Amino acid sequence: MQNITLTIARQTYLSAFANRATLIFTLLLGFALCLATYVGWQNFRTQNQQRVHYKKVVRAQWLAKPDKHPHRMAHYGYLAFREKHELSFFDFGIESFAGVSIFLEAHKQNTVNFSEAGFSNGMLRFGEISVAMVLQLLVPLLIVFLGYSSISAERESGTLKIILCQKVNWRKLLWGKSIGIISVCLSIFIPLILLTILLWASLSDWQVSVDSALRLIILILSYCVYFFIVTAVTVLVSAFQHSSKASLTILLACWILFIVIIPRITQSIGAKVYPSPSKIEFADAVAHDIHKQGDSHDPNDKHYASIKDSLLHAYHVDDVKKLPFNYGGYIMAEGEKITATIYNAHQHKLNETFAKQNRITALAGLLDPFLSLKQISMALTASDFETFIDFQRQAEDYRYQLAQQMNKLQIDKISNVTPGEHDKPLSISKSNWAQQPDFNYMFSTVGDVITREALALISLIMWLSCTLLLLQYAPRWIKTI
Amino acid sequence: MRKNTYNLEFKLFLSGSTAWIGIAILLITGFAGLYFGKSFIDNQHSVIKKASILQTENTLKNVEHFGKDIGLVFFHNKFSMANLPGNWAGFAIGQRDVNPYLISATMLALEGQIYDTDITNPVTLLSGNMDISFVFLYLFPLVIIAFTYNLISELKEFGIWSVLRAQTNHIIAVIWQKLLVRLVSILFTALILLTTAVLYLNIKLDTTLFTITLLLLLYLGFWFALSFCIISLGKSSNYNASALIAIWVLICIVIPAALNLVLIRQYPIPEALQNVINQREGYHEKWDMPKEVTMKPFFAHYPQLRKFPFPSDKSFSWFWYYGMQQMGDDQAIKSKKAMENKLDARQHFTKVAALFFPTIQTQLMLNEMAGTDLSAHLQFQESYRKYHEQVRLHFYPAIFLEQDIHRTNLKDIGLKQFIPQKKSNLNGLLSIAVITLLLIAMSLFNFRKARLIR
Repeated sequence: MQNITLTIARQTYLSAFANRATLIFTLLLGFALCLATYVGWQNFRTQNQQRVHYKKVVRAQWLAKPDKHPHRMAHYGYLAFREKHELSFFDFGIESFAGVSIFLEAHKQNTVNFSEAGFSNGMLRFGEISVAMVLQLLVPLLIVFLGYSSISAERESGTLKIILCQKVNWRKLLWGKSIGIISVCLSIFIPLILLTILLWASLSDWQVSVDSALRLIILILSYCVYFFIVTAVTVLVSAFQHSSKASLTILLACWILFIVIIPRITQSIGAKVYPSPSKIEFADAVAHDIHKQGDSHDPNDKHYASIKDSLLHAYHVDDVKKLPFNYGGYIMAEGEKITATIYNAHQHKLNETFAKQNRITALAGLLDPFLSLKQISMALTASDFETFIDFQRQAEDYRYQLAQQMNKLQIDKISNVTPGEHDKPLSISKSNWAQQPDFNYMFSTVGDVITREALALISLIMWLSCTLLLLQYAPRWIKTI
Repeated sequence: MRKNTYNLEFKLFLSGSTAWIGIAILLITGFAGLYFGKSFIDNQHSVIKKASILQTENTLKNVEHFGKDIGLVFFHNKFSMANLPGNWAGFAIGQRDVNPYLISATMLALEGQIYDTDITNPVTLLSGNMDISFVFLYLFPLVIIAFTYNLISELKEFGIWSVLRAQTNHIIAVIWQKLLVRLVSILFTALILLTTAVLYLNIKLDTTLFTITLLLLLYLGFWFALSFCIISLGKSSNYNASALIAIWVLICIVIPAALNLVLIRQYPIPEALQNVINQREGYHEKWDMPKEVTMKPFFAHYPQLRKFPFPSDKSFSWFWYYGMQQMGDDQAIKSKKAMENKLDARQHFTKVAALFFPTIQTQLMLNEMAGTDLSAHLQFQESYRKYHEQVRLHFYPAIFLEQDIHRTNLKDIGLKQFIPQKKSNLNGLLSIAVITLLLIAMSLFNFRKARLIR
């Protein structure tokens, strides 16, 4: 039994390459893939080098600041750059649509600016050529071209009856054709995987981490499963359709529907059903809540007046200037805490809204394996929405920590007596600046990624099982003639 | 007689399911596109309305809170400008989802504020908008392919071709009739959608409408010509379908994506990051320097402000502070200019590339005429820069003289509005027309050749 399946597979494989059009298309695809890999890798290097370079500049400038008032440093702030994961040369994901740099300063949460999309005059919107794009979009198209007539052509030419009269049964025929077509894909995919591993290793300076290795393995497996699903569906459609023409039409229509139309529609619906606020609405809501809590700028504010009273009471003094620490710093630390808590609550709600918008696409992934694979691929290469949100979160934590560190320096080291307007401003030694560590983004672990993307993984596994079952049991419904 | 055959041809075409499914898909997605486009723009309008209310509200709040110190009021008070979406923006959303349509900045260094983005979901940006320009750009070609790929091959595959050849000398006329019937159906669908768009989006009947209609008709004509060119090779239906879809994928996705990659590679913009750093250093380093370092270049920039007394003996003054902020902008001029040059180079590259690819050309022209492209956004930024400068020059004297805030007209300053200027560039139409004519010529040549052989 095995032998016949393999014979059919080999036959399919060889005849695919005997066809000049297929050969040319496959070679072109292989070429496109190599190009995409190489350019993706180069882009990764230049962009990441830029970011690492400016990260170093920012650090050096921070450390070189002279003696000054810590609150000046809090306003001088820090610039954080979103570093890329070494696997992101494989899949660009939302990279180009997400900002790159964020200015972190006291009292104020800024946006992540300078996305590639902001510098584009629209060509970017056609899509981006990356290894993932070629594998997700073009390889399925190759599979369709290879497989649409795999069985229907045999039926049309009358050879199907002859084949099935011999030792071949439907199951072996379906498996044989599927394996043959997948082998064609793998003959492009396997060299590509090797190239990817090589480039990935070189990007990690030949010191690959277990985490990344695991990511890559799951990534490769997911793509294999995706190719299998597409192949099985193609062969099945070809088996069920009477003419190759009908089979081709259906498969191409599916390709367009699943890959071009559905992703756009689901995301548009998501954005429509769960509207997100604009920046001014968001800022206004935050300001409103802060105002309710207390306004540190308002000397008559109740919240801060009560803090002042309790401090005066606890230290048995009648004026804040007599407190043993810097009162201004204390109030600012309190203000920062309140505003940051409120801001984070709003940011959390906003992220939830975005997650809801994306969930419609995620659910559509149950019907559209392309969407599930895309999600898995982006998550594993850390070029997905969650990674971006996580960057924002870590940057905000860093901002808060920086502001509070400076407030602490002010509380501990700055005199409580404000100098006159002609006096030299108060300052502390520059040696304090080094206490503030550099900003380093930490990627999530592969375990977290998998838990996060459980839905997409399940959907892909579900599709795999369905197609496996169909290959095994569909023959009873297929008509030979 | 001739009219009669056209009628029959129409009946034949419309009796098949392909025609109705194709037209239905276009109409449904087209209406959906209009709906999504309109609601996107309506949302921007309502946000702009809120922004206008908030501008006044926040100004009053700032005056109330910080009114005793005029310098502090302007430290906090933001001045906003909105990029109003035109009616066409609902037709082609373009880059309006990526670029902010509201710029709000204080009088402090502008370079640190003008690039702030709006709150967006990057996943939505990545999938792209489901507006009607998407339907015209991507789906119409697919339906054209579906309508035409088997125009000749089907006749052969059903054995009608030889009968036809035996019966008529005007086989090209027969083919032409079939093609015309499909062309008319597609154009009719396109016109229904355009008319709906005009009514639904309140589009004015002006030259923009004329140009866009012409552009879309030309674009559809291009796809017909391309399709005809492939089917004129006389290959099988399956070959035609595969080839046409492959071409569609190539010019709608792969080639623009590849060109974009070249663009990013050729013109990277590290200047953007450099600009942020320059601005930040340019301002902050002045705190630790003697005041002349700030004030000399400041007075060189604004000689007219020299007449205001500078309190050089005070350790802090708003005069100095705003001077330092100005230095942030002034020291970022070079990197800003470099960034602008890179963006110009990118625009130029895209324009040249678009000449050869009608898909890119159509998209660029649609966005350009809808005022939703990058250049509209850059115009908006430029206009904001001018406004910011006006605001600075208007309020600097009051701040430097430490006037009472109530003596200024700050409270009267509302939300500024910006409307992008439309440029229509007819070269683009010409390039599509030339490509289309070339394809028609090629197909006629193919067709004659094929006919002579058989």
